[in-house]
Amino acid sequence: MLGITIGVASITAILSLSSGLTSIVRSQVDALGGTIAVVRPEAPAASSRNTLEQLTAGQQFATSSLTDADIAALEHIEHISAVAPLMVLHGQIKGTSAGPADTPVVATTPQLKSVSGLVLTEGQFLDPNLSSATAVIGPQLSVDLFGTEDSIGQSVQFKGSSFTVIGVLKRTNSPINYNNVDLDEALLINLDSGRALNQGVSHIQQINLQINSVANLQTTVAEANKVLLKAHANQADFTVMSGEEIAQPASQIFSALATMSVIIAAISLVVGGIGIMNILLVSVAERTREIGIRKALGASNRDIIAQFLIESLAFSIGGGIGGYLLGYLAAFIISNLFLTFDPAITWQIALVAFVVSVVVGTLFGLYPAARAARKDPISSLRQYD
Amino acid sequence: MTKTHIPPVIVLKELRKRFGVGDAEHYALDGVDLSIEQGEFIAIMGPSGCGKTTLLNILGLLDRDIEGDYELNGREIGSLSQRRQARIRSDQIGFVFQSFNLISRLTVIDNVALPLIYKGIPKLKRIKMASKILHDFHLGEREFYMPNQLSGGQMQRVAIARALVNEPSIILADEPTGNLDSHASHIIMEELSDLHKKGNTIIMVTHNPNLTTYASRVITMLDGRIDTDTFQLPVVKPVTEKKPLGKTTKRTKSKKSKGTK
Repeated sequence: MLGITIGVASITAILSLSSGLTSIVRSQVDALGGTIAVVRPEAPAASSRNTLEQLTAGQQFATSSLTDADIAALEHIEHISAVAPLMVLHGQIKGTSAGPADTPVVATTPQLKSVSGLVLTEGQFLDPNLSSATAVIGPQLSVDLFGTEDSIGQSVQFKGSSFTVIGVLKRTNSPINYNNVDLDEALLINLDSGRALNQGVSHIQQINLQINSVANLQTTVAEANKVLLKAHANQADFTVMSGEEIAQPASQIFSALATMSVIIAAISLVVGGIGIMNILLVSVAERTREIGIRKALGASNRDIIAQFLIESLAFSIGGGIGGYLLGYLAAFIISNLFLTFDPAITWQIALVAFVVSVVVGTLFGLYPAARAARKDPISSLRQYD
Repeated sequence: MTKTHIPPVIVLKELRKRFGVGDAEHYALDGVDLSIEQGEFIAIMGPSGCGKTTLLNILGLLDRDIEGDYELNGREIGSLSQRRQARIRSDQIGFVFQSFNLISRLTVIDNVALPLIYKGIPKLKRIKMASKILHDFHLGEREFYMPNQLSGGQMQRVAIARALVNEPSIILADEPTGNLDSHASHIIMEELSDLHKKGNTIIMVTHNPNLTTYASRVITMLDGRIDTDTFQLPVVKPVTEKKPLGKTTKRTKSKKSKGTK
């Protein structure tokens, strides 16, 4: 029974956390009116195996298949109101003090502001009319570099270039988002500057598209797919995603974790199931006489099987309910201690927990029940208890 | 005397039951021919190991591996599935055991209601029926006692109530008074005798010759065979033969019953 509890608990915990994660990204996309589509330089994941390979490859692609020409092509598609490429570089930034070693520097265009709905607490966003040596800073990075969120006019150094801070982003507290960059801790620079820092080559990690209305979303995504496919000589080395799909890759790391914990859960469920089977086998042996009496009074084999199966289900469902509660407890503790989002509470998770309990109960109850039913009534009655 | 026209409840032909294999092979029943009419109170007697209990188990459909024929209410039993047999046990047979065989973790009323579960009767009705029959046995105040709080005689009365709750046509009792003192024994025998007067068929195995006075027919067994039987065939004979205008079907039937005897 403890095994069932642990198994169901780990399933519940991981499911609630991963769907909490998915829903946080989904709500970000929804907050932007659901008119966001994203192009990523990766072939569509054909299977979970592919997903795992991509995970180990990391989010930084050695070469991105997306080009400046793609951006231009996308800008010409009807209904697309804004195109914002994201080129992410990593390195240490120096202000009055040195920042974290792996600070993301996002080279992008001014359109990112409207596409991702960015809000500034101070100053202004990137503007091509200004000097290219300007930057917008994330609030946390500002604190790291200058000890204050108010860093307008300060200059930062990155890879030997100097940038003047012209704006500070509003704190979002969403390290997990569809840009795969924590903008609170990032520096935003112009795409041209970014290109200059990368031997003049664009290295686009993602292109965010804003579509003018929800009604046009699907057709525009299809159109973007067509245009890009043509530009890439019919090689599908990119993915255009919208709505739910955007939320998925963010939870890839979680799905890998989920796979692991499902394996752990499966092991503990098997152990728990065998535990239940043992309890029942003892109970069958103890109640041999009772089985004999019941048979003599007209119980058929099926009645006996039903009796012990119900008993087994009572154990497993009881353990399952305990596990469900324990799983949520664990999920909330984990999310409060280490994570920035809350686990989701959905009926699907409750259903999964219930079905798992029922299946384990039935599976491991069947053998003791069948054994009980096969007992010979005469020798059962002869046994003294 | 219309009783004789009803076909016998139980007909056994050349019934054999084997235990053991090879050298240890041994017939507990070695060719039993028996025909039991509706409403008889039969006492089966005999020394230990003569096959009385085995016979009772076979009559109660608890023992499946038998050779020979067993007809219950005109139906051949050997060919029925286990499920069907369980159904017959539930509908037509009531068991009373020497050691009472109440389920110790259930209350008296739950014990009595037990056979009704397998007839698919809803819980409330089960409890009502069990309660009614317990009142008939003057155990009304003991409904919620546990079996171990009762005396032996009370336990056996509960067991009889349980055997009767689904209104079986045949009651099989395996030494029902074997664990009781003589006073309780007589109370139990009076109960059984009352049932017999109400028209139930009772087949009782006993060691106690005094109890055979309650029975309408006494069978003694020896080494797996019927040794003596007080059943009087002449009672049947004149009735059938004195009716020249009787239907032919009746006649063949009565002939059949004669043949089995």
